[in-house]
Amino acid sequence: MTTAGRRGRALIAGLALGSLLLSGCGGDTTPQAAGGSLSGTIKFQTWNLKNEKFTPYFNELIAAFEKENPGTKITWVDQPAEGYQDKLSADAAAGALPDVVDMGPEAAYTLAQAGVLLDVAKADPQAKGLYLDKAWQAMTFSGLGGGTYGYPWYLNTGPSFFNKALFEKCGLDPDKLPATYDELFDQAETMAKNCSDAYMIARMPAIENFGEYGVPLMDAAGKKFTYNDPKGVEFVERFKKLYASKGLTEEALNNLQTKEVEEFKAGRLAYLSGSSYTLNDLKETAPDIYKSLGIGPRISTAAPNMYIESLVVNATSENQPLAMAFAKYVTNAANQLAFAKKASVFPSSAGSMDDEYFTKDDGDPATKVRLESAAQVKKAIVWWPPAFSGSADAETLREQIAQALLGKKTVQQALDESVKYSNERLAQHG
Amino acid sequence: MTVSAQHKISLRWGRRRLHREEEAAPATHRWRVTPWLFLLPALVVIVVLVLLPFLNTLRLAFTDSTLLRSGEFTGWENFRRMFADERFGTALLNSTLYTVCVVPLMVALPLVLASLLAGTGRLMGLFRTTMYLPVIMSPVVVGLIWTNMLDKRGLVNELLATLKAVAEPVPFLTDRWLLLFSAMFVTVWMGLGYYMVIYLAALANIDPSLYDAAAMDGAGPVRTFLNVTVPGVRSTMGLIGVLSSVAAFRVFGEIYVLTNGTGGVGGGDITMTMLIQREGTGLQARTGYAGAISLVMFVILGGLLIAQLVLQRKQRTS
Amino acid sequence: MSRARTRRRGFSSGLVVRYLVLLLMAVLLAGPLLWQVSLSLKGAGDPLYTRPPELIPGHPTLGNFATVLERVPVPDYLLNSLIVAAMAVTGNVVGATCAGYALGKLRFRGRGVAAGICVAALLVPAETVLISQFLLVRAAGLANTLLGVVLPTIVAALNVLLMRNAFRNLPAEFEEAAIVDGANAWQRFIRVSVPQVKGVITVVAIFAFVGSWNDFLWPLIVLSDEDNYTLTIGLNRLHGTFYDDPRLIAAGTIIALIPIVTFFAILQRYFFRGLEAGGLKG
Repeated sequence: MTTAGRRGRALIAGLALGSLLLSGCGGDTTPQAAGGSLSGTIKFQTWNLKNEKFTPYFNELIAAFEKENPGTKITWVDQPAEGYQDKLSADAAAGALPDVVDMGPEAAYTLAQAGVLLDVAKADPQAKGLYLDKAWQAMTFSGLGGGTYGYPWYLNTGPSFFNKALFEKCGLDPDKLPATYDELFDQAETMAKNCSDAYMIARMPAIENFGEYGVPLMDAAGKKFTYNDPKGVEFVERFKKLYASKGLTEEALNNLQTKEVEEFKAGRLAYLSGSSYTLNDLKETAPDIYKSLGIGPRISTAAPNMYIESLVVNATSENQPLAMAFAKYVTNAANQLAFAKKASVFPSSAGSMDDEYFTKDDGDPATKVRLESAAQVKKAIVWWPPAFSGSADAETLREQIAQALLGKKTVQQALDESVKYSNERLAQHG
Repeated sequence: MTVSAQHKISLRWGRRRLHREEEAAPATHRWRVTPWLFLLPALVVIVVLVLLPFLNTLRLAFTDSTLLRSGEFTGWENFRRMFADERFGTALLNSTLYTVCVVPLMVALPLVLASLLAGTGRLMGLFRTTMYLPVIMSPVVVGLIWTNMLDKRGLVNELLATLKAVAEPVPFLTDRWLLLFSAMFVTVWMGLGYYMVIYLAALANIDPSLYDAAAMDGAGPVRTFLNVTVPGVRSTMGLIGVLSSVAAFRVFGEIYVLTNGTGGVGGGDITMTMLIQREGTGLQARTGYAGAISLVMFVILGGLLIAQLVLQRKQRTS
Repeated sequence: MSRARTRRRGFSSGLVVRYLVLLLMAVLLAGPLLWQVSLSLKGAGDPLYTRPPELIPGHPTLGNFATVLERVPVPDYLLNSLIVAAMAVTGNVVGATCAGYALGKLRFRGRGVAAGICVAALLVPAETVLISQFLLVRAAGLANTLLGVVLPTIVAALNVLLMRNAFRNLPAEFEEAAIVDGANAWQRFIRVSVPQVKGVITVVAIFAFVGSWNDFLWPLIVLSDEDNYTLTIGLNRLHGTFYDDPRLIAAGTIIALIPIVTFFAILQRYFFRGLEAGGLKG
C-alpha cells in the first residue's frame, strides 16, 4: 500500500466533523528550540493539506512564527494526494528534500537509514519531554541505533463500526458487539453460518493487526521480523478457518481498505474499522446504514493500533536551527491541539489529551466517537514497524496470506516466506 | 488474424543491398550529412533522456544498490535472486500469455473498426471521436467501471444469471486466469481506439483506384477488405504488431485497476512491469534488483522483435 | 469517391449493418463515459453505492463543477497544460517527421543503427529511468519548469517509428521525379513527402497531445511550485485530505477531458487530408 493509502487508512473518510469553530491556531508563545536568534529561510512541506480547510491554519501558523522570530521566512509547499512517495523518492535521490517535511515513520525510517534525516533526540535532548512518550518512541528507531528521527505531530485511531441490522439478520446479538479478535472471529463464523450474503470481515490482516492480536513483530534490536512465530500462525489460521467456512469471500483476499468501506456502505459487511471521519461519511453517503450503526472500540486482543504522523528535519538543511525551531513550533502542545481539533485527529504532545475537548461529553454522537477514540489513544500503540515498507512488504504479506488461505501453502510456509522477504530487504537497505 | 499472419508483417528495416547500390551512386553522397541533420533533434532527445538513463539502470542491475544507497558490484546475484523469486516466473508467464493473446486482436480488430469508420461524413467524425474516448479516459474511472461490470454482483454476472447461462456468479476478478482474460478484454477495449487512429491514417493512403478495381470485379466487402485493405496497410500492421507486443508484454494499468492495484489474489496476476514497479519505485526501491528485471525484460522484448525481423526476411527471400 | 460505389452496391443491407455495428461499438466504448458524466451531475442526496448504479441522477446539479472551479485554479493550470501540450505537439511533429523522413526515405550509412536506437528506446521501461531522468533535467537547470516537464517526451521514439513507416509507404516516383528536377533533400521533404503524410502527422499530434495532457507522475516530480502545475496534477487537489468525494473527482476528470476531446474532434478529419492533398492518383 502506498503512503497515500496509509494516510487514507489512518484518517479515513468524512467531511469536517461538526462545525468546529476554532479560535487561535497557534500564536501562543512557546519556548524556542535553539535559543538565540533565528534568521533566514526554510522550506516546509506538507502532504495534501493545502485546501480551503487547512490553508488558513497554516497561513496563520506561519505568520505567527515569523512574527515571533523576526527575520525568518517559512516557504510552505504542499504536495498533492497521489504520488507522494515518488515525489519524496525523486527529491531524496536528488538531495533536494525540503528542510521540514511531513511524513510517517516508515518513510522517515528509510530516509534516516540513508543518513538524510536529523536525529532530533541528539540535536535537541530536551525535546523528548514535550511529547507523549509512546509517540516519541514511535519515531525512535531501534534498528538504526536508537536515534529519534522526527517530531511527533499527530496521532490517529478510531472506533469499530458495525451494521446492527446485519447482526440481527444473521443471528447475532447487536448489543454484544465484538471487542477482541476472538470475539470477532467467533461472531464472523456465526454470521457465515446464518447468512450467505453478509460478512463480518472483508480484508486480509495487515501488519498492525498482527500487533493488535499480540504477535511479536520484530526482535528487540529491530533487525529481524518475527511475525511468523506461533502466535502469528494462530492468527492467520483463524482467517483460514473463516475462509474455509465461507465467512470470507474470495474478493476479500484481494481487498484494500477503499473496497472494504464500499462494501460496508452497500450493507454487505457488518464490521468496519474506521476513524472519526467515518461517522460523518456514512451519514452523508450511506444514510440507510447510518440508521442501524453500532459503534465500539477498535478490535484488539493486545492493544489497539494507532497511526502517527511526524515532521522530520533534513540533516543537510542549510538552516538547521530554523528548521528545528519551526518543526518544534508546529508540533508544540498548543499548535498540535489546534490542528487535531481542525483535522479530527489526536495530539501527540504531552498533556494535550487531557484537554476537555477530548474528555467532555455533550451528547452528540460525533463527540462520543471522539471521546471513545481519545480514550483509546491512551491505550493504543503504533504497531506498524517503521522498517516494514507499506508497498513491497505489505503487499508480499497480503499475497502470502492469500496463498495460505487458498491452500497453496501452509500458513507457516506463507509467513516464513513473507518474513524472509522483508528481512532480506531490510538487510539490503542497512 | 492469427499469429502466423503476424509473421507476414513486414518491418522492412534492412534492404541492405539496395542501400549499397544507391550509396555507390554519386547522387547519394551529398546526402550523407543531411540525414543526420534530420535525425539530430530526435536522436539527441532519445539518446540523452531515454537510453543513457537506461544504461545507468543496466549498470545497477549488477549491484545491490537501493534508491538512496549506491551499492557494490555483486555480479549475477540479482539474476540468481530473480530466478529463485516465484513472482518472477508468474510475471513472465502472465506477460507472455498476455502478449500472445492480445497482439493478434490488436492488429486485426482496430483495422476492421477503422475500415468501417473511413469516410468523411460528419457522422463518421462523431463516431471516430466516440471510439477514441476509452483511450483518454482516466485509468481510475476505467477501473471503477470495469470492476463494477465484472464483479460477482456486477452487470455482466447479472446478465448471465438472467439468461440462466451460469448457476454461480463467474469470478472474473478473483480467479487467476479469468482475471487475466478480463484484463485482456479491457486492453482491447482501450486499444481499439488507439490503434484505430493509426490505421485510419494508413487507410487514407491506399490508392482509391484499387477499390474501384475490386468493385468492378464484383468483390464484396469482405473480399475487398482482404484483397485491398489488408495488403494496403500491411506495413502498418507490422508496426502495430511491434507496438502492441511491447505494450502487451509490459501490461500494467489494466490489471492494476481491476485488482485495486494488488496484482490479483495471492499475486497470481502480477506482470513484469508490476514486479519492476514494486521493487524499483518508492523510497525503499531496490534499484539494483529492479534493474536486473528490467534488463531481462528488455532482452526478451528485443529478442521478440529480432525474431519477427528474421522471419520477415526469410519470407521475403523465399 | 470510389469507395462510395462499393457502398452503394449493398446499400440496403450493408449500410444498415455497418451503422448498427458502429452504434453498438459506440455504446460499448463510450457508455462508461456516460456513467462518469452522470456521477459528476449527482447531487448530495443521490446514493452512490447502489447496485445496479443509477444512471439518471435524482437530484442533478452543476454544483460539483462549480466546486471544482472554486477549489482549483483551473484556468491557470489549463494554461500550463496547454503550454506543455503545445511544446509536445510541436516537438513531436517536427522532430518525428524529420527523423521519420530520414529513416524512411533517405539512404545513408548508419541508418540501421539510428532505427535501432529508436526501437531500443521503445523497449525501455519508464519506471526504471524516471529518477535518472529527473537528475538529468535537474542538472540542466530545468527542474520546476514546463520545459523540463516536456523534455523527455518532446520527441518520442514511438512517433519517429510511426513517421518512418508513413514515409516508407509512399510511392518512390514522386521523390525520384523531384531528384531528377534537382531538388535537394529538404525541398523534397517539404514539398513532396510531407504533404502526403499529413494524416500520420495528425496521429502524431494527437498522441503527443494526449500523452502530455494525461501524464501525472513525471510532471509531479519535475514541478515543485504550484504555479507551474499542469491540470492533471492540479485536479489531484480534489482528493480531500481525509475524504474523497467521487462526484467532485468525476467532475474534475470531465473538465480535463473536454480539451482532449475537442482537440481530437477537430483533428480527426485531417486523417483523410493526406490523400486529397497528396494527389496519389497522379
